[in-house]
Amino acid sequence: MSWFLKRIGLSILLVWIVASIVFLAIHFVPGDPAELLLSTSGFAPDPVAVEELRRRLGLDQPVLVQYVNDFQRLLSGDLGRSMKDDSPIIDAIARRLPRTLELIVAAGLMGILIGVPAGTYAAIRRGGLFDRVASALSALGLAVPVFVMGTLIVLLFAQTLRWVPAGGYVAFDRDPWQHLTMLAMPALTIGLHLAPVVFRVTRAAVLDVTSRDYVRTARAKGVGPPRVLVHHVVRNALMPVVTVVGLQLGGLLGGTVLVEFVFNWPGLSGLLVESVSSRDYPEVVAIVLTISILFVGLNLVIDLLYGALDPRVRRR
Amino acid sequence: MNRRLAVSLSGVGLILLLALAAPILPIHDPLQMAIGQRLAPPSETYWLGQDEFGRDVLARLIWGARASLFVAAVSAGVALCIGTALGVLGGFMRGFVEVLTMRSMDVVLCFPPILLALLIVTLLGPGIGTLILVLSVLFLPGFVRVAYAGVLSVRSNEYVEAQRVLGASRGRIMLRTILPNIAGPLLVQLSLAVAAAIVLESGLSFLGLGVVPPAPSWGVMIRAARAVMDRAPLLLLFPCIALTLTIFAMNALCDALRDSFDPHARTPRARARRVADLLAPGLLPPPRTAQAGEAVLDVRGLTVEIETPGGSIQPVQDVSVSVAAGETLAIVGESGSGKSLTGLAAMGLLPSAARVAGGAVLFEGTDLARAEEATLRALRGGPMAMIFQDPMSSLNPVHRVGRQIAEAIRAHQTASWGEAHRQAVMLLAKVGIPDAARRARSFPYELSGGMQQRVMIAMAVANGPRLLIADEPTTALDVTIQAQVLQLLADLKRESGLAMIFITHSLPVVAEIADRVAVMYAGQIVEEGRVVDVFSRPLHPYTEALIASAPAEDGPPPTGIPGTVPPPNALPSGCRFAPRCGYRIPACEAAPPALMTPEPGRATRCIRWAER
Repeated sequence: MSWFLKRIGLSILLVWIVASIVFLAIHFVPGDPAELLLSTSGFAPDPVAVEELRRRLGLDQPVLVQYVNDFQRLLSGDLGRSMKDDSPIIDAIARRLPRTLELIVAAGLMGILIGVPAGTYAAIRRGGLFDRVASALSALGLAVPVFVMGTLIVLLFAQTLRWVPAGGYVAFDRDPWQHLTMLAMPALTIGLHLAPVVFRVTRAAVLDVTSRDYVRTARAKGVGPPRVLVHHVVRNALMPVVTVVGLQLGGLLGGTVLVEFVFNWPGLSGLLVESVSSRDYPEVVAIVLTISILFVGLNLVIDLLYGALDPRVRRR
Repeated sequence: MNRRLAVSLSGVGLILLLALAAPILPIHDPLQMAIGQRLAPPSETYWLGQDEFGRDVLARLIWGARASLFVAAVSAGVALCIGTALGVLGGFMRGFVEVLTMRSMDVVLCFPPILLALLIVTLLGPGIGTLILVLSVLFLPGFVRVAYAGVLSVRSNEYVEAQRVLGASRGRIMLRTILPNIAGPLLVQLSLAVAAAIVLESGLSFLGLGVVPPAPSWGVMIRAARAVMDRAPLLLLFPCIALTLTIFAMNALCDALRDSFDPHARTPRARARRVADLLAPGLLPPPRTAQAGEAVLDVRGLTVEIETPGGSIQPVQDVSVSVAAGETLAIVGESGSGKSLTGLAAMGLLPSAARVAGGAVLFEGTDLARAEEATLRALRGGPMAMIFQDPMSSLNPVHRVGRQIAEAIRAHQTASWGEAHRQAVMLLAKVGIPDAARRARSFPYELSGGMQQRVMIAMAVANGPRLLIADEPTTALDVTIQAQVLQLLADLKRESGLAMIFITHSLPVVAEIADRVAVMYAGQIVEEGRVVDVFSRPLHPYTEALIASAPAEDGPPPTGIPGTVPPPNALPSGCRFAPRCGYRIPACEAAPPALMTPEPGRATRCIRWAER
């Protein structure tokens, strides 16, 4: 249990560090931050507007005061207000975050459902036709950037075959079928991006575990091949797979940016791109902070899952 | 240099050359517009057609490669220099510097990469300069970690210590000794960073946050082509293909580099059982049914072959042994003598690279060397069982030990999990584990080595085997625990009357537990006989040397055997022990000696046995 608490404490520490860095980032940049945010392609911004922004962001106060104020605000659940329309940012995040999470979960499931069985089968039939074809496909899949995959999928399914709309979003409660159709393409894009990674890790892990002594022991006991595969090989091979899938999903928390952009999926990442383009600094900070906290939280979940999968981890 | 490295290197080189030569190639100006020829299809002058402003697509592709590769190379290079410096510093200075560099890198890794990139772009605005800064920061931790790990492994080496003792300054040691040693992993990391940088650069440019139009970049081109994909799908395909091919080539180069720096990553191919072996039972003695007093296990002329890159080797050659019910046969030999492979071959558990190339393994009359896997499975863990050398690695780390024993029971008996578990607890008590009910719920790592081996023994005897093969069961244990485990095995044998094959390199253990002994050397049996006879009057110089090398309580100090066991791919042409033998005569090296029978129940492979 103390292992559990230690992991949680460490995660809270990490969140604090991340929040501090996001806060301090604007002060690291040489020059006046308010001027910097308002300047576009070399033109000097309007001094009145700079003064106004400085006051609104609290940049006129000493850095330490800003830091303390910002943290007090954050702890009370206030993520600040958008520079565009002065609306509370937390509302926008609450509206868009579930859509991004939905996309990630759907994509993760696709990646695992394709990658783990294919990787396992390729490993136990190593050097066979399936192994060679799947390995070649995974090398190709790894070389296609996710936005290229997305664009090509739009070109094929929406533009050429006209099976699905090219992108967009419909709320689930308004039209469940339409919602799922529109989810399918971005989820497939990310899923196809994940599958080669999952495939490779699974294949390597299964190959590694197959030659372990305890698998030989299981065979020496006269246990049948299906049970050896599931309870001894795959069960132990899952640990690296869990780590890699977790890392990948964590990367996706920000990495859906490109796919949401391609498919016009109004998730959190899309909001981030908008606010980066319009240089809405408070909104960027709030979103980056939210995603980083989720990222740290996800890593915590993976660690705990790891502890559940491998009893030895819990002792450390 | 291997072929994969050469192919991938030339692929990357070709792309690089094309990008570098862009200004001198006879191509159109990538920025020159021709509005009248918007979206024109490929033609003789414009090989890949023209884009939405009538610009030449081919020229933009080539100049785009230049942008991508420039950003990737510079950012990866910056990250390489700074990262290596930080990592080497952290690994070499230790203390505060180490904590600071390593922990700050952990913090960078806390951010999803593209988020950190977007945060910096917000602050600095898009452009090539920002891109390079962003990518360098992102790749820094990778280089720091590789350099740090490399320094840690190198700095403990003796030659670094030696230099320090000789008075070399720290900076000199770092530059001269450590850098060349970590160059390989750093090169792999560099190629990974370049590949990742190309992906990130194109992604950010695609979002409009990287390279600023109208400058050509593959990401920018794909972004622009998306808007007109209904009219000119080719415009979209070309940069997609160029990007994918480049990343593919970089990935292939990364893999090839990693393999060439880490030869362990390569694994030999598994080989299938030869069909001929399965179809040629006519060449073998006909199977018989076992009769009372007969051998439980009868190994006849067993040869095991392993395919290696340097040709096939025979680590076990023409080995014949047998063991009867209630009897213990010890197989003794040094590491590499083939004793363990003999045991594994008898169980049908040879590693996938090895196969039985000849001979027969008759278990109660069934030839296991040619039996179906299903037949073997019904025998393994049931009538014949095996105990392995290292109990820690032989028990599955993620299952409770009681469950692992219960699994063995359920593999051969129809029992519910509850019933099997009750039997498992009884077995644990039988092999001398106190508080068996509680111990059954332990994970292997919670038990001591001796306890683990008792669990393995409980598992092996769970279904009342008639043959037990124990492969160095006490080697990994403390001396006092060894004695207890040997006693346990002896008791089990006496109670159940099973036949036991005890594989070991320890002669004192042989003397304690075995009735007969077979001595193996370089894959062959060199001597066999009753333990008392062999120990009192060895008929092979190797046995004699083994006995002399074992420490005795009262007697002369042990003497070692000069030389080492020859590797199986470089065996002497005559007697395999001749190079290390003090009784060697020219005839020994002339021809391989056959196994002779000087008296009933004894065998030796020494041509001079009669002279002793």
